[in-house]
Amino acid sequence: MATSHKVPLARREAFLLGVLGLCCFLGIWTAIAQLHLASPQFLPTPYAVLARAIHLVSEPFAGATLPLHLLRSLERYGYGVMLAALLGVPLGLGMGWYGWLDHVITPLFDALRFIAPIAWVPFAALWFGTGIGGPILIIFAGAFPPCLIGAYRGARFVDAKYVEAARMLGSGGVRTLIEVLLPASVPSIIAGLRVGAGLGWQSLVGAELIVASAGVGYLMVQGQSNVSTPTVMAGMLAIGAVGLLIDVLLRAAESLVRRRRGLT
Amino acid sequence: MSAIVFEGVHKSFQREGKWLPALEDVSLTVADKEVVALVGPSGCGKTTCLRLAAGFDAPSSGRVMVGGRVVTSPGPDRAVVFQQFALFPWKSVVGNIEFGLRNKGLATDVRLDRVARVIKLMGLEGYETAFPHQLSGGMQQRVAIARAYVLDPDALLMDEPFGALDAQTRVIMQEELVRIARVNPRTVLFITHAVDEAVYLADRVAVMTRRPGRIKEVVDVRSVRAAEGWNDLERIEEVMDLASFVHVRTHIWRSLRDEKGSAN
Amino acid sequence: MPISRRMIHAGATIGVVLTAWALLTEVTHSISTSRFPSPLQFWQSAKQITTTGYADGTLLSHALHSLKLVIMGFAVAAIIGVALGLLMGWSRRAEAVINPAFLLIRPIPPLAWIPLAILWLGLGDGAKIMVIFFAAFVPAVINTATGVRTIDEHFIEAARMLGTRRRRLVCEVLIPGAAPMIFTGLRLSLQASWTTLVAAELVGALAGLGRVLNMAQQDIYPAMVMVGMAAVGALGWVTTRVLAEAERLAMPWLSP
Repeated sequence: MATSHKVPLARREAFLLGVLGLCCFLGIWTAIAQLHLASPQFLPTPYAVLARAIHLVSEPFAGATLPLHLLRSLERYGYGVMLAALLGVPLGLGMGWYGWLDHVITPLFDALRFIAPIAWVPFAALWFGTGIGGPILIIFAGAFPPCLIGAYRGARFVDAKYVEAARMLGSGGVRTLIEVLLPASVPSIIAGLRVGAGLGWQSLVGAELIVASAGVGYLMVQGQSNVSTPTVMAGMLAIGAVGLLIDVLLRAAESLVRRRRGLT
Repeated sequence: MSAIVFEGVHKSFQREGKWLPALEDVSLTVADKEVVALVGPSGCGKTTCLRLAAGFDAPSSGRVMVGGRVVTSPGPDRAVVFQQFALFPWKSVVGNIEFGLRNKGLATDVRLDRVARVIKLMGLEGYETAFPHQLSGGMQQRVAIARAYVLDPDALLMDEPFGALDAQTRVIMQEELVRIARVNPRTVLFITHAVDEAVYLADRVAVMTRRPGRIKEVVDVRSVRAAEGWNDLERIEEVMDLASFVHVRTHIWRSLRDEKGSAN
Repeated sequence: MPISRRMIHAGATIGVVLTAWALLTEVTHSISTSRFPSPLQFWQSAKQITTTGYADGTLLSHALHSLKLVIMGFAVAAIIGVALGLLMGWSRRAEAVINPAFLLIRPIPPLAWIPLAILWLGLGDGAKIMVIFFAAFVPAVINTATGVRTIDEHFIEAARMLGTRRRRLVCEVLIPGAAPMIFTGLRLSLQASWTTLVAAELVGALAGLGRVLNMAQQDIYPAMVMVGMAAVGALGWVTTRVLAEAERLAMPWLSP
């Protein structure tokens, strides 16, 4: 009899199947790489990629070692996301609480948000050259909308019961704002920040591919120009790993908040 | 001949590494065309019994037979009416009702004819093309019952079929079920929390002990109904007013309360 | 269409912004037009690219080229992604086997595939489609799998009770049941497709809106950059509306 599709597998079975899957994947990859369908540089083996990544940790390429490139990337990423949060969250909250602000800002927002963050790159290049401003603008363009929307939703869709209870308890405007509306919006704000951080990281990559002189994206572009596929793939690995780490950390923060609220 | 037979059924579930017994040595026979109600305290395993008969789960030991065949998997010979209706929201009323017949591969004209007849039986004329969310709870349950009936099943298994309906709709549906059962008698096993409902609808009422569930006693209602002429009365409230009805109901309540009392 | 209050507000805001824009650039020259174009310059560039063309093509030809690539990459990613998502959502075993490979690919931002795509397929359309595929593929799989996994268990039980065979189960129960989440995934896929295409074309292309942006940047022609961005935004909006309409038509049972 077929088991329900929702019943999770026994941990051992899941683990074994996972190992099997991973081995198959790596095996097929290695097999294709070894077949030398094209030049050896076309598809390096998984081992070659890992070796290259480790090599780059100590040996510089395109101006710096891998960790240093990552640091440069994270630096501009941090600025961009912080800016997006510092601007987006208060604005979003304001728009959620005060209808007139919503009416004023939303048309502007809607007009601009369909422009993919990456499309800001040429603009950023004209304004900032290859300075740090360029990537920050693009990261901002990616991270800002989710931060705004998260805060907006948190403010707008606060359960009316909380507000009614506050009024019944004689709470004035400011106190209600700080002690009721703001805390009630926090889960949604954090969810927005998490999505924003993710999109910001993705935009960073795009920015660094085009307008940077350091950073992991720049490393990959140089790797491509030098026809060094292992470098490119090592870069992809590093970017993926950091992106994953950021996401995991923020998800943990989000679930911590939710659990303390009794939401999940 | 389509009887439901539970033979020495035991069922245990594994939760957090421990085996929790849900049913212990359940033996019960629902005779051909008989209506049996299963009542018992919360968590006693009534739903588990139904699921075993339906084939969604298998007994740990012992066996369940329907129509002389051991139950191993779900199928249209044991039609289930769910408490939450489980109508496919993306299909119309007709779409839902004919789904089982399409699976059986019936010829189109035969299928359409059977669907039309059951729509008439359940009073659903005019709603053929409506979607479930456009219907009230009572109407949705009619569709669910129609979907089960149209299969011409050996057994009808109903899991608190009127539990999701408001009190007044519930009463109407109970009268409906009695009417349909007269027109189209079936072997029925149904679960309910409402003792009134059990006594009104069933030929026999099986009372279960608290977990691990066992059949404590089986009360014969049919002979009382025949002797006291319950079927001569039109309205449910008239039947429920009879001293004989109250007597049977009180007997079952007492039996249940012993179980509940020892649980608390 | 009745004029709603929101539309008036929107019109007013945009009007104010446009006026301020014109004033600051043309009249008071507070913003240097070598960095930020005036409305007039924007209009002139728009006219130029639609009539005589820019970067070896008119606005229409560039837009169609970009649109073509997006649709191709998106379509392939959608079909394969949804199919894989259905498999992974339904079968815990399949999910357990496929997951490790998927987890390796998933965190890689779509744009990070560009250098690899260029190494493998050069600067032509093939590379663009490959990158779009990887960008659009991931959200489609994840959302479809989640959609299938979160289908109410009772629907599956009812389907099994009614004797449903696998093919019908997939087509008439799983897919409609997961449809809302599938469309959420497709929306994300489309967004990712556009982002990736523009980025890929910015890095290097022979035609398309990204190429327009790239050339305008190299020519230090901010007005044309703006036209390019507006075109990207407009096409993104149009394709999103088309998808929304498809979603509405595909799920008639959700309309009241």
